[in-house]
Amino acid sequence: MKSPFAFLSNLSEEPRIQALKGLTLFRELSARELREVDELLHERTYQKDEVIFDEGDVGLGLFIIVSGRVKILSSHTSLQELAPEFHRGDYFGEMALFDKAQRTARAVAAEPTQIVALFRTEFFSLLERDRGVAAKILFELARTVCARSRQLITGEKHNPSL
Amino acid sequence: MREESQPSVLTWLLVILATCLILFVFQKILWLVVPGLLALVLYYCLQPLVQMLVRAGVRHGTAAKLVAGALFAATAITLVLLLPLVTARASTWKAVTIRYVQGGLDFARKTEEALAEKFPALQKSSIFGNSELNVNSISGQFAEKYLGAILIQFVHWLPSLLLMPYLTYFLLNDGIRFKKYLIRSVPNAFFEKTLLLFDRIDNSLQSFFVGMLKLTLLDTICLGLGLAVIGVSSPLLLGLIAAVLAWVPYVGSAAGCLLVVTVAATDFPNQPALTYSCIVLFLSARLLDDFVFMPLTVGRGLHIHPVLSVLMLFLGAAVAGPTGLVLVLPVVGVVAVAADTFGQIVTDHCLRARFHEARQLRRKHPAVR
Repeated sequence: MKSPFAFLSNLSEEPRIQALKGLTLFRELSARELREVDELLHERTYQKDEVIFDEGDVGLGLFIIVSGRVKILSSHTSLQELAPEFHRGDYFGEMALFDKAQRTARAVAAEPTQIVALFRTEFFSLLERDRGVAAKILFELARTVCARSRQLITGEKHNPSL
Repeated sequence: MREESQPSVLTWLLVILATCLILFVFQKILWLVVPGLLALVLYYCLQPLVQMLVRAGVRHGTAAKLVAGALFAATAITLVLLLPLVTARASTWKAVTIRYVQGGLDFARKTEEALAEKFPALQKSSIFGNSELNVNSISGQFAEKYLGAILIQFVHWLPSLLLMPYLTYFLLNDGIRFKKYLIRSVPNAFFEKTLLLFDRIDNSLQSFFVGMLKLTLLDTICLGLGLAVIGVSSPLLLGLIAAVLAWVPYVGSAAGCLLVVTVAATDFPNQPALTYSCIVLFLSARLLDDFVFMPLTVGRGLHIHPVLSVLMLFLGAAVAGPTGLVLVLPVVGVVAVAADTFGQIVTDHCLRARFHEARQLRRKHPAVR
């Protein structure tokens, strides 16, 4: 029987899950795990030049680009050089998932951009109830942090392989 | 860096005002508020089961249907099993009630006499001197006057209580989607703060309701064990009733104590020491509740100052009577969280500037949504 509240979901489930599977952060997750994570994600659409977050904001979660492009502007030169732009499938603001520190950069949509956000407290609830899924996401995040650290050390402009 | 400020006096005044207003409205639509709150309590209790099924590979919708279905099947079976038992015993209710009321009055009279013996000044003021009055005729009049009204009230409440299962199923099946749907309508600039607000409200309510259930369980066990040791009849049932009554702050606890004392006084009419030990047990349970159980269960959920809690209880009772007493703490907890977050949004010039900028951008490029 169709739920009387079906209008609350604007997309059918499977194409959504397929789309999530294509994102780097969730590539190790199974369909079942993706469905669980999907419940925690919030979709946002940004105009060209619209600010996603500002340097100095208290970060509450990370953002994953579903479509479009995001420019990063930072007063920290090294950070600005490290990751000046993010594209489809990339994610940014991941440090907010671990602590309540301020954002170190400003993120602006370089073109009409669709994003999904993963909020820190919701990620913690996932960590409490399904450590397996959370561990896979954390491992992927750790890989990215490692890659960016190496980039900082070696000064390479592209993402070096691990 | 933008500092997050503490709520001001004005914010607290607004919180108190908003709480009183909400309680006033709640009192007017109690037929909807009661099933809604019960559904919310059931949702918080059953949500972990749904998540467990989802982890086991069941789709969310199916898991919600299974859990809600199991709950209602269990409720229906319990009702079917209990109904004949209750009907069979209904004929003895009046006699049992009269017996216990008389027992309680006798105990009060004996206590008064004992006190009068020790303090002669009390001999003139006899409060329970007329306790020989005909309890039987009073209860007969009560049944004649009020039983019909009580039954009509029950029939009046039945349809709204039937809403509870449907609301519980809705929350289990579509709660997350509904939350996302609400958040989707929030402008991008305020999105993160709104998520924070929802999360804090959700946590406050969950901590409060689940905490209350844990507290009820702990109270029931403590009182039940204590009453069983003393030797009072139906200790677990009495403990449960007293624990549920304690949901109404202060008044409920007093009513629970009165009930336990009445039963003990009737069970042991010639052993007042046992009745006094019931009072001591009840007071000990209350102290344990206030200083140990409450901080461990409910207290951590709603970060409200004790002075404000007491003030709000008085205000709640004045605005909405017993309904206000029961609902005032969760309502003030939620309103305080909402006011705090709204305060942060309103006083954050950067967020407001970002919102206006985004609005201008949308005017420039109306095609993109």
